[in-house]
Amino acid sequence: MFPTQIVPKESFDRLQIAALVGLMLLGTAFVYSATSASNAAAGVAWFNQAWARQLVWYALGLGAAIALCVVDYHTLARWSFVAYWGMMLCLVAVLIPGLGKTHGWGAQRWIDLGPFQFQPSEFAKLAFILAGANFLSRPVDELRQPLIFWQGMGLLLLPCALIIKEPDLGSALVLVPTGLVMMLVAGTPRKYLLLLIGTVGLLGGLLLADVLLAPPRWQVPMQEYQRQRLLVYFGKDFAPANATLAQKAAARELQSDKSYQSRQALISVGSGGLWGQGWGQGKQTALSFLPPSAAHNDFIFSVIAEEEGFVGSLVVLTLYAVILFSGLRIAGQARDRLGKLVAVGVVTLLFSHVFINIGMNIRIVPVTGIPLPLLSYGGSSVLCSLIALGLMQNIHIHRRGY
Amino acid sequence: MLFVDEFKKNEPQLRLVALMLAVGLVILLAGLWWVQVVSANEFQSHLETQSYRTIRLPAARGKILDCAGRVLAENRPVYNLSIYLDDLSGQFNSEYDRLRPVKITPAPPPFWAFWRPAGTVQTNRVRLNMSQVEALSMQARYNVVNRIVGQAGQKIGQPLALDPKKFNQHYQTSRALPFPILESLDARQIAQFEENFSGDLAVDLELESVRDYPHTNLAAHVLGYLRRDNDSQAGEDPVFKYRLKDYLGVIGLEAGYDPQLRGRAGGESVLVNSLGYRQAKTVWSPPEPGQNLVLTLDLDLQQAATAALVRHQGTNARAAVVVMDVRNGDVLALVSSPAFDPGDFARGISFAKYQQLQALQAEKNRATAENYAPGSIFKVIVSLAALEAGLNPDQEYTVEANPEDPLHGCYFLSARSWVKDTAPPGKYKFKRAIERSSNSYFIQAGLQAGVERVVALAKKFQLGETIGLPTRQETGGDLPTVERVRSPDWRTGDTANVCIGQGAVAVTPLQMAVVYSAIANGGTVFWPRLVARLEPQDPTQRQAVNEFPTGLVRSKIGVSGRSLRILHEAMLGETEDLIEGTGTSARVPGLLICGKTGTAQVPESRLRAKGWNYWFASFAPYESPRYAVVVMVESEARGSGGGTCAPIAHDIYETILNKEKSRAGKILAAN
Repeated sequence: MFPTQIVPKESFDRLQIAALVGLMLLGTAFVYSATSASNAAAGVAWFNQAWARQLVWYALGLGAAIALCVVDYHTLARWSFVAYWGMMLCLVAVLIPGLGKTHGWGAQRWIDLGPFQFQPSEFAKLAFILAGANFLSRPVDELRQPLIFWQGMGLLLLPCALIIKEPDLGSALVLVPTGLVMMLVAGTPRKYLLLLIGTVGLLGGLLLADVLLAPPRWQVPMQEYQRQRLLVYFGKDFAPANATLAQKAAARELQSDKSYQSRQALISVGSGGLWGQGWGQGKQTALSFLPPSAAHNDFIFSVIAEEEGFVGSLVVLTLYAVILFSGLRIAGQARDRLGKLVAVGVVTLLFSHVFINIGMNIRIVPVTGIPLPLLSYGGSSVLCSLIALGLMQNIHIHRRGY
Repeated sequence: MLFVDEFKKNEPQLRLVALMLAVGLVILLAGLWWVQVVSANEFQSHLETQSYRTIRLPAARGKILDCAGRVLAENRPVYNLSIYLDDLSGQFNSEYDRLRPVKITPAPPPFWAFWRPAGTVQTNRVRLNMSQVEALSMQARYNVVNRIVGQAGQKIGQPLALDPKKFNQHYQTSRALPFPILESLDARQIAQFEENFSGDLAVDLELESVRDYPHTNLAAHVLGYLRRDNDSQAGEDPVFKYRLKDYLGVIGLEAGYDPQLRGRAGGESVLVNSLGYRQAKTVWSPPEPGQNLVLTLDLDLQQAATAALVRHQGTNARAAVVVMDVRNGDVLALVSSPAFDPGDFARGISFAKYQQLQALQAEKNRATAENYAPGSIFKVIVSLAALEAGLNPDQEYTVEANPEDPLHGCYFLSARSWVKDTAPPGKYKFKRAIERSSNSYFIQAGLQAGVERVVALAKKFQLGETIGLPTRQETGGDLPTVERVRSPDWRTGDTANVCIGQGAVAVTPLQMAVVYSAIANGGTVFWPRLVARLEPQDPTQRQAVNEFPTGLVRSKIGVSGRSLRILHEAMLGETEDLIEGTGTSARVPGLLICGKTGTAQVPESRLRAKGWNYWFASFAPYESPRYAVVVMVESEARGSGGGTCAPIAHDIYETILNKEKSRAGKILAAN
């Protein structure tokens, strides 16, 4: 069966596209604002500046998204396992010293492709959504079989494990709700889901309890910076209870160092007030209290919030809300379960990113290196977000009634 | 709502997902509302405290001028060579990168070029712990700054060294301020700097103002001295992160008029980045300059008095001179010796020098802050009391010879106790008694008039009283009260002692200048005046000039003109009567001086060695008195007021005469 439908003229979800364009405009403007101080200092040519590169990525991403819309998503889904296993290979490759690159803090997340570096974990998320949707779109009866359930779990846990190994805990964590929600929507029996949520909750709780409370000998092996971020988030002392005064003082200093980023992000967001300080007027970036290496990617929201205030935050949240809810509408209108599952997967993935990233700026989530879709600077993230939204449009184009 | 109807007909799972999304977004929105709207102020103040540093800017201190506007104390600009650290952060980083340990590792070729041979790569990615990083960046900063200091030293032709400890301290505590590498450059160094620096070295000259006393130790006790004190004064904003050099008056007029001289310090804010380097600055309150202090002192007379003291007694003599305008109480010269150089304190005095000053008790203002027995110069008050009480100046009084020392007279208090006299025995009228300073005569005169009268008259001269001198170094002297002299404890011997200026009375040279001025001007006791006015530093500024009234009357002594005339005549004889006068070495041709010499023996005490105070108190001209000159010298050597102090007064009167002559000449020429 090869559907040979002609793409109708009015078939894009224009509301979602409008929100998308709005986010890209904001992204360009605030990547510019976040980097203008350090660019001016270093005398970077305009075409090498982050905002110009970001525009290039937007263009590439839009191109890729449009290209994806031309091909029916069923065709894409048929190739999804190839994509999935290809990405798994990349995730393995990234762990091999020499192939994987680090950006200096010990996590191997990038593969060097000469002119640019790509982050396989971002693309792995997409591949997982496609493959997972393809896997789960089988008849609901089959989903009742334990074997299928465990296969589905394997599909989710393999990329999670590989990404945790990099380590990139944040990226691994966003896959979990994505997988769960897709299973929920696919119609996996409630007992499995409850079991799963219970297990995840238990494991997470145990992990936290271990990090926060257990004596050093009993703690699970973990990157030191990850443990410290968790300790910072929960306001726990770095020093063990039996430490000497000097050790405690050193630990306190270390803690203040380690909580620096999240403290500065919070100051940025808070000092924005209701109306903000105006575009390009953010002191936290200009004076580099927000680290210049992070201001334009993981902490771009702080920049927007400082310069445009609560009103700016509201605009950003509204744009995301439009994209997410129109995504859910697309899921509801999708022609089949495959389309619905892909749409739901993409929505959940985007939402997880948004929630974790903004939440980390206002300290309701620990600091994790999760980009804000379409706003944060970074090729892999922008490409993946746009491809994901292209997939969504694809499902919309091929929705019921056409 | 746009999406709602869509979900109504859809399956419950999608609605659950929509609900979760909505809850998530609402949580974010609530969090943002809390952070950005409810607690915005808290975070804004966080932002300010971490990105602003406030600096206290001291105001330009007012000058101190003499009565003719000649400078006694002013501010001298000093140039310091300073490094601006905010320009160097880039260099610090590159030096740090250069210093970082390098690791050479084999580098496999990229996987798409697997046929290429493996190379090596140098990486700076040697793991360093926090303290290593700190030590290395400290070293990097030191290297950069040391290099610049070295270059700067070459260019101004003076080798400079950078003290790592000092530099690190400055870096840790006041990074937003320039770091001084050479203080107070001389003119040649400034010229070389201007010639050789193109501005690429992050080095610049910084202006600083240093208190300067062009006449070094002249009038030191009037001016007083300052110490370094950068603290906020009353009425200022007390919170500053950094404070620039400022001074606080310790003694003298610098202390007494400190608030007026210092003006009002201002403040500026420096915007700093996350590394603490300066980005921009705003002066939010410009400093208001202090006022100039115009004194009544006459630089010429002050110099003449100082020079006369040095000429006759040397620089370390313990002595004091006061010259006063008898017509209004203006202090024209006030010298206390030994003196100090207030400039030493402003520049920072060495411990050795300070100890030396302490040993000499140089800080003490001997003209105002030390009690001295007046000796015979007190006899003028006894004279007036006696004359008013009916003493006949022409009646002769016979002084008997001292049984132990027949060449000198004495006064028998009883058959077995007597008061020694320095004058010879014989017949004395009032004039001769003043000229020879006969103790016996005045004890007898005082006893006849009654000690109560003497004390009451002395009280009218305001002896025993302080006046709240703005130099802050003052003592009121001693004068027994009328109640005390009436009490049964008071003996005839005490009265005898008071009559010759010993025992219960003690005065300061300034007080005696007031007394002699009152005698000279016909009986008016003035408030001594040191400061004529306060005026704005910038004469174009329309700021009120604060004039202190001259000739402020404190009291009238209420003595008849006849008594004063008799006393004036006798005092004139003291200097002009070449046979009998004891103060003849004060004589100046062309100027008739009325004077009185005095000597008081000082018993040994903890603070002072056994010795004498020599006095010469006087006024001139006899015909219409204008100047009172009081000279006091402490000495361990045997001498006399006439021999020790009168020559000093002589030199001062000579200067006064020349000054009046040249002034008269000028007026004549002008007419």
